Amino acid sequence: MVLSLRDVSLSLQGNAGIVDILHGISLEVTERETVGLVGPSGSGKSSLLMLMGGLERATSGAVEALGRDLTEMDEDALARFRRGHMGVVFQSFHLIPTMTALENVATPLELAGDSDAFDRAAAELEAVGLGHRIGHYPAQMSGGEQQRVALARAAAPRPDILLADEPTGNLDQSTGEAIMDLLFGLRDRHGATLVLVTHSLDLAARCDRTIRLVDGRLDSETRRTAEAAE
Amino acid sequence: MTWLSQAARIATRELRGGLAGFRIFLACLALGVAAIAAVGSVRVSITEGLQREGRVILGGDAEVEFSYRFATDQELDLLRSFATEVSAAVDFRSMAATAQGPDADRALTQVKAVDALYPLTGAVALEPDIPLAEALAGDSVVVHPVLADRLGLEMGDSLWLGTKAFTITARLIREPDAGAAGFGLGPRTLVRTEALDGSGLLSSGSLFETDYRLTLPPETTDAQLDALEVQVETAFADAGARWRDRRNASPQVARFVDRIGSFLVLVGLAGLAVGGVGVSAAVRAYLDRKTPVIATLKTIGAEGRTIFAAYLMQIGVLAAVGVAIGLVLGAIIPLLAAPFISTQLPVPVAFGIHGGPLAEAALYGALTALIFTLWPLARTEQVRAASLFRDASGPARGWPRKRYVAALAASAVILIGASALLSGIPLLALYAAGAILVALGILVLAAWGVRALSRRLARTGTARGTPSLRLALGAVGGPGGEATAVVLSLGLGLTVLAAVGQIDANMRAAIDRDLPQVAPSYFFVDIQPDQLPGFLDRVENDPAVSRVDAAPMLGGVVQTLAGRPAADFDHWVTRGDRRISFADSLPEGTRITGGTWWPEGYDGPPQVSFAQEEADELGVEIGDEVTMNILGRDLTATVTSFREVDFSTGGIGFVMVFNEAALRGAPHTWLSTVYATPEAEAQILRDVAGDAPNITAVRVRDAIDLVTEALSALAAATSWGAGATLLTGFVVLIGAAAAGERGRVFEASVLKTLGATRRTILTSFAIRSALLGAAAGIVAIIGGALAGWGVLTFVMDAPYAFEPLSALVIVVGGALATLLAGLAFAWRPLAARPARVLRSQD
Repeated sequence: MVLSLRDVSLSLQGNAGIVDILHGISLEVTERETVGLVGPSGSGKSSLLMLMGGLERATSGAVEALGRDLTEMDEDALARFRRGHMGVVFQSFHLIPTMTALENVATPLELAGDSDAFDRAAAELEAVGLGHRIGHYPAQMSGGEQQRVALARAAAPRPDILLADEPTGNLDQSTGEAIMDLLFGLRDRHGATLVLVTHSLDLAARCDRTIRLVDGRLDSETRRTAEAAE
Repeated sequence: MTWLSQAARIATRELRGGLAGFRIFLACLALGVAAIAAVGSVRVSITEGLQREGRVILGGDAEVEFSYRFATDQELDLLRSFATEVSAAVDFRSMAATAQGPDADRALTQVKAVDALYPLTGAVALEPDIPLAEALAGDSVVVHPVLADRLGLEMGDSLWLGTKAFTITARLIREPDAGAAGFGLGPRTLVRTEALDGSGLLSSGSLFETDYRLTLPPETTDAQLDALEVQVETAFADAGARWRDRRNASPQVARFVDRIGSFLVLVGLAGLAVGGVGVSAAVRAYLDRKTPVIATLKTIGAEGRTIFAAYLMQIGVLAAVGVAIGLVLGAIIPLLAAPFISTQLPVPVAFGIHGGPLAEAALYGALTALIFTLWPLARTEQVRAASLFRDASGPARGWPRKRYVAALAASAVILIGASALLSGIPLLALYAAGAILVALGILVLAAWGVRALSRRLARTGTARGTPSLRLALGAVGGPGGEATAVVLSLGLGLTVLAAVGQIDANMRAAIDRDLPQVAPSYFFVDIQPDQLPGFLDRVENDPAVSRVDAAPMLGGVVQTLAGRPAADFDHWVTRGDRRISFADSLPEGTRITGGTWWPEGYDGPPQVSFAQEEADELGVEIGDEVTMNILGRDLTATVTSFREVDFSTGGIGFVMVFNEAALRGAPHTWLSTVYATPEAEAQILRDVAGDAPNITAVRVRDAIDLVTEALSALAAATSWGAGATLLTGFVVLIGAAAAGERGRVFEASVLKTLGATRRTILTSFAIRSALLGAAAGIVAIIGGALAGWGVLTFVMDAPYAFEPLSALVIVVGGALATLLAGLAFAWRPLAARPARVLRSQD
């Protein structure tokens, strides 16, 4: 099992007191599977994704990734684990503004101690169609280009797991579709497991399985039929 | 003017948001204004103290001073014609000894010989607390505790002045007119003038001043004082007498305080410039945050000028608050420091709230705020409504419209002009303004260079293999970083400190290292002509003595120079008494730089040889005439040669040397410098003073110590000023670090997501802080060295050598300061949970 969540709950301190975000979630994701997380705003989709990436700590329950219990790890151990096994893509791209596209993509490779970090980063940017923009800073690029850099950055270390949080949320439809094609293309190329948070049922339909959340609870689960896959 | 009222309404609504985000803005302005207001207030307090207590400091309502002689009966009659009381005091240097003969202990003392009326105003405080008349009865003296301790003397012991013994009856605790006396070389001894008869002192040709203190009728007005001054100066025009009254009781102290005060105001202006960087950064950050608001206002029809005015008004209100806080602090600090300042000064200080310096500080603060905010404010006009609908990629770039650039230039000119006008030292103020502008220019270039270099280094192999280093270099070199603000603010603060360090170190080095190598051991003064052969016999035949120079000396007052009255020149040569000399043949080692020295045995019309440098400063040329009043007689001589005179060697150096025949008959004494090994110094003093007690020996090393002490006080005052500038620099630095915290929280969150550990992130933050601090420090060293070189070469006319120790301390200090500020704001980024930070921005 690539990802395994058992009875996971998440409560956060809000301005008006403690807010319960997730309630007793249990689910498993298998190797190379693509999973779409859908649901209304505030249903806990992104929070669940963050728990899977070790970017948020569960209040209770266990989160395992590749057989490792993420809830037992400290901040630095989690960072080292992500370095080797996970790539994350956000809705707002979250590129580091003081770095060029090439430097942004090379950073996770460098952190992992890769000696040809910059060559690999350049190849990855080439793969997302940005070979001519490697020296540009995020502020000099369009939203779609920034998201492609973010995809390249997430995919460059060849992660076992790709987590994407509404990666087309800030983009127009045609750019969004292009980004999704790239995301699925990268996943196919590297053979990673993909968990995707989206509002779009069309996008979710491209995944092997769609999980719907409502009010922080698993509401329903749909598997893609063989016909749909074809 | 509808648009102005619209702007005012927008400004009022926007100000409802409060002052959040403007703490650094307020602190920068308040600190700069407070420093200038405090210095100005102290300066005015001292000046007013001098004026208010002028009568006590002077020792009377007015004073007429003669050099090297007493007033004649006719002169005294004139003084008595308008004064109700006339009291005479004679001031001179002498050797105080514990006994006669070579085995006695001796020390230099500044003797004040007084009459029974002394003091006309104020009171002398003695220990034991006995009346002065009782203490000075008969052959008695009152001595300053330092002199008594130096010679190991107690009450009732004998103290020798010249060839006469006196009994010590009391210690002098307070001398009411000490502030008027200027800076003496030795501690004070008080004695009755008539008691000096038989001491061999005050003989013809001796160097002494006679001060006639006058009590005037209580109703005497300032206008009447002016009239009396004119009357006395007209009557004594040729007598070399100088008038002073209660309005300028202590011109030396007043001038010193005025100069140091003005200098510190200039240092304060540098502090304000540093604060300006923080002000500018705060306004930029504020306007960046307001970009959507500005864009919205434009969308709904607001014109560019309305928006500019609205934000100018907001910043104006905030600047007024900052200036007001600074003024309150600047007014209160001197009052709190009053007890300390009072003990450091020989004159009374009238502490209080003074409007003038507060207004000056407010003007500087307001203009600085305007200069440093106009540029970012002008850019509000360039914000496009479209930025609402697409991602604004940062603040607008490029030049603002011409009218704003013109307004900015005009404000800068007004600020520089005001500082030149109000400081009283216009040339130095202009130099300082130029230096600040150049320093800011160099720092902007340096910030640009550091960023470019960081970008380049980030792409090298070494940096690419070390994530924390490359992250740091990328952050320094990348867009939107804090590099410019940090390098500018800390750099300018450190530059001021480095300049002070370089100047101070060079001055100390000049005194500690250069001077003692060539300076004589002793200056012997008041050697009577008949004592000269015996004196020379003693010192010239001593194998420990390597060199003896001697020259006749007498005093005079310059009356006219090159056809102009002495009062027309603002130069030390034409101010007060001037010691002059005469010679027949060219003294050994003298170099003539222009004209020709008179032939040996010359007996024609008087000629004078002038020091080249002073002649250049005064505009004196060969063929010009100099008229001097020497002991009441005018002597006019023609300048026939220029000489090289180096006063820095500590040897004999006279600005004017006359031909021998012109002054041979005038009463004079001899001055001699003796170069001896340190071990032989004590014995020479014992022998010379034992043989001729009237001869006064000034130990050069003691004089140097006094100068060094005065210099230390000056350096301490300047360091305080530079410290205030640096403090402002730190505030800006902390502001920059705080402003960058949000960005670092985001950056740390992304890096954690990508797999960076906290150690990697912290190391990266530390490297970038240290890099910026070190860069600011290095620029400061270059700027400080340039400023130090400029001040020493052009203002002090002294050689300059780079002083590495203070420079090193500044680089390390700069790096440490930014490191600490950076680390202080590293906690939140390190503790941030990536999910919460990154999702909040989605």
